[in-house]
Amino acid sequence: MNLPQSELASQLITLLAAGMLVIQLLMVVQRMLLTNIRLFALQSLMLAAIAAIIAFFHNATHIYWVAGLTLIGKVFFLPWLLNRQVQRIQIEQEIAPLLNASASMLLCGGFTLLGYIVARPFTSLARLGNNTLGVAITLLLTGFFLMINRPKAITQVLALLTVENGVMLAAVALTTYGMPLVVELGIFFDLMVAVMVLGLLVYRIRETFASMDTSKLNQLKG
Amino acid sequence: MNAFAILLQTLLLLALAPFISGCIRNWKAKLQNRGGPRIWQPFLDLVKFLRKDMVISEHASWIFRAMPYVLFTSTLLAGLMMPLVNVSAPLSLFGGALAFVGLLALGRFFLALSGLDPASAFGGMGSSREMTIAAVAEPALMLAIFTVAITAGSTNLSQMLLAAQGPTWRLLNPAHVLAFAALFIVLLAETGRIPVDNPATHLELTMIHEAMILEYSGRYLALIEWGAAVKQLVLMALLVNIFFPVGIATDVSPAAIGLGLLWFVVKLLALAGAVVLVETTNAKLRLFRVPDLLSAAFVLATLALLSTFLFQ
Repeated sequence: MNLPQSELASQLITLLAAGMLVIQLLMVVQRMLLTNIRLFALQSLMLAAIAAIIAFFHNATHIYWVAGLTLIGKVFFLPWLLNRQVQRIQIEQEIAPLLNASASMLLCGGFTLLGYIVARPFTSLARLGNNTLGVAITLLLTGFFLMINRPKAITQVLALLTVENGVMLAAVALTTYGMPLVVELGIFFDLMVAVMVLGLLVYRIRETFASMDTSKLNQLKG
Repeated sequence: MNAFAILLQTLLLLALAPFISGCIRNWKAKLQNRGGPRIWQPFLDLVKFLRKDMVISEHASWIFRAMPYVLFTSTLLAGLMMPLVNVSAPLSLFGGALAFVGLLALGRFFLALSGLDPASAFGGMGSSREMTIAAVAEPALMLAIFTVAITAGSTNLSQMLLAAQGPTWRLLNPAHVLAFAALFIVLLAETGRIPVDNPATHLELTMIHEAMILEYSGRYLALIEWGAAVKQLVLMALLVNIFFPVGIATDVSPAAIGLGLLWFVVKLLALAGAVVLVETTNAKLRLFRVPDLLSAAFVLATLALLSTFLFQ
């Protein structure tokens, strides 16, 4: 196939965004914590690839930085950190969601539709990847849903990270040239610190309550 | 010419199916640091089964005796409707995707019946489990095929592949990514691979496929095993040919056919590698968790179908 370059870029980005969506939906049904972390790393890898493709086809050098940071931070460092935390506090592997998997999957299917419908008026404007905004909104919605649905602190951290993936996708793919590098760096380190602090918090919650269930935190009131 | 094509494709199906099973078994063992059986071990097994005597329960009815033939022929027919090396499948005029799914369902129906027939406790358990899984896996399979059918404008598998050769075809269609993920999960479920069923185990309380065929021996067992291998090959061919229609032959010249065969085997081996990776890195799911996984496949397929409309 002899596609013009921008067409090829658009197709690749659409494909990778769809891949991110598939992984997000798999995370909704996946009950094993370590597999969830691995899936998150894979999703971040796709995000990094999208950023790299945009940087390559638009000659936007600073987006290479975004891609690199995503690769180092979200594909390697954060999953490693989370993995270590899971090992250290030796929590049980299985996530116990509040809603069962089939119901939450159907709900997330609904969220995906909602995301696409909301994004529809904008898709004609977007030059790159006509479904990226839909995917980004879906990642946001399902990320929030995951946060609500899972009582344990460490899975909520993971859900927050997928929400951030969604925001990053919207920022990188839709504005084409991304946000200013300073803003992206800021967001990035913010996130890094947030995860570390939350990690400490998880440890403390575990020490105090012998469980990671955040719903037990309301026992603190006097 | 057509009879010749039918003969050739039948031979290809029968020869390639045990080979792919053997590859998967061997690679899986290699990944687990074991020596593993040789690649052609399934052929030796089949020969061994064919030579052995059969032991049939005196309570078994005609269904028990008919099932191996029904399963084998229905799977083979489904395989003949699937374009493997050439765009036009030998039996493509006979029916499209619906007939394909229907033939597989017919085989499964008889398989479940024959599990119940000798009234062994294991068989009944296996049948009930198989039907539970099939009830969710089959709609997902159909929806995923329909996603591609809508893009191609026909439910005939050959027509779908022919449309894929056209210039307007978008190889990297996002709807196809969703459908591919759904079909991959269905493939794991239908062929009894690890997150759903363990193909390497007998006499375990969690078995599904093996529980139904526990009463079979000798020639019948050979037919069933061979049929199961052909089913696996056909489903894998469905995945690789519909979603990656690269290198498939569009005419009947020997060069095109040879190249098509080469591409087909390479794509199959790549998919087999993916299956091996999934099998080695995942633990078997609890039986009650299996519908969760399959409902994920169902939702993915539904989204795929809907998104073909959303992207118009």
